[in-house]
Amino acid sequence: MSDDSLSPEEFAEAAGAAILDAQSRPDATRDVLAEAGLFSVSVDEDHGGMGLGIAFSVPVAQTAGEKQLRFPIVEQIVLARAFAGTEQGEALLGGALTGTIAFAGALEAGFAARAAFATTADVMLVAEGEGAALIDLASVTVEADATLDPEAPSGFARLEGATVLARLDAAGYAALKRDVTILFAAFVNGAAEGALNRSAEYLAQRVQFGRPLSAKQAVRHHLARMKLGTEAAIARLRRALLDNEFAESRAIETALTGALSNAVFVVEKAVHLHGGMGFTEELPLHYSLRDVRKIETALQAGAQTRAIGRAFIDAA
Amino acid sequence: MSFDTNVTLPDPATDRGAFRAHARKWLAENLPSTLQADSLDFKYPSLEEARVWEAAMHKAGLWGMTWPKEYGGHGLSLREHLAVNKEVGALLMPESVGSIGKELAGPVIMAVGTEAQKNHFLPNILTMSHMWCQGFSEPEAGSDLARLRTRAVQQEDGSWRVNGQKIWTSGAAKADYCLLLTRTGTVADKHRGMLMFAVPMNTPGIRVVNIKSIDGKDSFAEVFFDDVVIADDARLGAPDEGWSAAIRVLSIERATNRMYRPWRFEAELKFLVKALKSDPDLAQKLEEADVQKRIGQIVTEIDGLKGLIERAVDQMMGGAPIGARGSLSKLSWSETHQSFMGFAYELISGVTPLNSALAQRAKKHFTTGYLFARAETIYAGTSEVQCDIIAQRILNLPTELKA
Repeated sequence: MSDDSLSPEEFAEAAGAAILDAQSRPDATRDVLAEAGLFSVSVDEDHGGMGLGIAFSVPVAQTAGEKQLRFPIVEQIVLARAFAGTEQGEALLGGALTGTIAFAGALEAGFAARAAFATTADVMLVAEGEGAALIDLASVTVEADATLDPEAPSGFARLEGATVLARLDAAGYAALKRDVTILFAAFVNGAAEGALNRSAEYLAQRVQFGRPLSAKQAVRHHLARMKLGTEAAIARLRRALLDNEFAESRAIETALTGALSNAVFVVEKAVHLHGGMGFTEELPLHYSLRDVRKIETALQAGAQTRAIGRAFIDAA
Repeated sequence: MSFDTNVTLPDPATDRGAFRAHARKWLAENLPSTLQADSLDFKYPSLEEARVWEAAMHKAGLWGMTWPKEYGGHGLSLREHLAVNKEVGALLMPESVGSIGKELAGPVIMAVGTEAQKNHFLPNILTMSHMWCQGFSEPEAGSDLARLRTRAVQQEDGSWRVNGQKIWTSGAAKADYCLLLTRTGTVADKHRGMLMFAVPMNTPGIRVVNIKSIDGKDSFAEVFFDDVVIADDARLGAPDEGWSAAIRVLSIERATNRMYRPWRFEAELKFLVKALKSDPDLAQKLEEADVQKRIGQIVTEIDGLKGLIERAVDQMMGGAPIGARGSLSKLSWSETHQSFMGFAYELISGVTPLNSALAQRAKKHFTTGYLFARAETIYAGTSEVQCDIIAQRILNLPTELKA
């Protein structure tokens, strides 16, 4: 399929409808998402995908963040793309397997950690030397780290005796990590956008002192800054995916670190602006708070920010 | 100073990178080290030197990109404007001394001026023959221009008699013309009855009193208008018309003027790092984790601002109205730079004559920059005004319950 006739933004609406459908059928989430083609957008046409670049999966991930999808959609998309043409890739693409990625540990180190949804996933990618290995989670024991998120805990696994199903070489693993950076940036931008929109809607209806809270300047200014941060984060990612005037590609690291720092700010502020309601589990804002904090930890956003600074210093 | 002004501009249609490459090459060959703040040769240019430099930039295709050719511009698009700005930003040259003319008065005249006014004023702005100042703010009307008091009363012969006072008028003492905002009625009329003029600053009755600012400069002023008689042909549009057009122009300008900012901030950050690296004692600071992280954050913020600007250009090139989105970039650049200058000052303020010459140059640059940055969240609409605009016009937040 040619990229020329399509724009990535056109995928947001279709993704939104599929995600709402999946959320209404929690037992069939994976099947609904697969059937809607959300895992296949950036997979080669020769291997059953749509053959579009990773930029076309950005609105899918962003919409998933905005709608608080509780499924490892970013991991599923990038694994289906990386393992396209293999048995496991086909299973990931078609929704026969759920994949996750361990962002800490290594096969040779004997452990894997910081893997989202690891207690319910079927396969997990873990670093191995310069590349990575896809292991069968049925061959290892996964311990849930439910400290931050009891409903969707991260996972820790000891890897002795792990069955390796497929492997990525160094180049393949580097390409996957780039996709991860892009799509997690999109996911947390969506989370921020969703939290902002929910806050603006709530504060326009919540009456205190005889007027909606959105009439209060302090509240309006909080929302304005949340809007600015979110617009900048979305624009930063968009820019990172476009070549410059000389057809040179751009670095993508700040798109993730900027998205995460903004999303933490916006979601925390959204909880605050909802007052007592924001502190309840009844309101689903806490899902986004847990998601963005888990991603921040998994991808070591603080260390990445420092590395961006270090690289700037070295290049100056 | 002399510059190569015998330039054939590239056709941007032939190569997307051609105009940016042209700007890069011309600046590399023509910008003297004395005009580069990160050079040990740097010295602040005189007004005449700055005028000559900016006029040369215009001839080389680096100013007036989007203005029509018949008024002295280059008839190009915002894409070329942005491409040039990236290269202008990458070098630490002085801020334009003609920016009020190029970024405010010129676009307003283009929008509401008569043909005679356009033909007279616009080419002279680009050649730096006319310098402009902006006569909007008053002691009682800073952010709230509805409280403007300077009054214009039309006389029997058609001319206008103006009385009032302006304040915080940048560059008033060196300006040839003032873009003057007055009212024809009373303060009770609020935004109604506003009238704009292009007033020669040598008109009898105009008195300029410089104000010293906290960065030690006296580049802005109070301007008094005592029974100043202005010819009717200096009027820019009819009452209300000029002002409402100016509001539209200003919203576009807020999004498009000085697009070079994030690239300039990046160049300043490089200068800061180079200055610290140039001295073994200072270089140690760059090994500190919190310094590396803060630099990473600043790079991230700069990339966000670049993204906002490039997206705005793409949207405008696609025909979309810019609306209030300029407030996003104004709030972003002013607070990003103000915070960056605070960080830079903390790193460089302890430099002594025993440190490297480049570190001492940097100390001067960033100390002045830190002080001047206090103004950045005030002028062109304070941060609070920008937040109000974003809340009202972008988020559409209601102040009353919807029925």
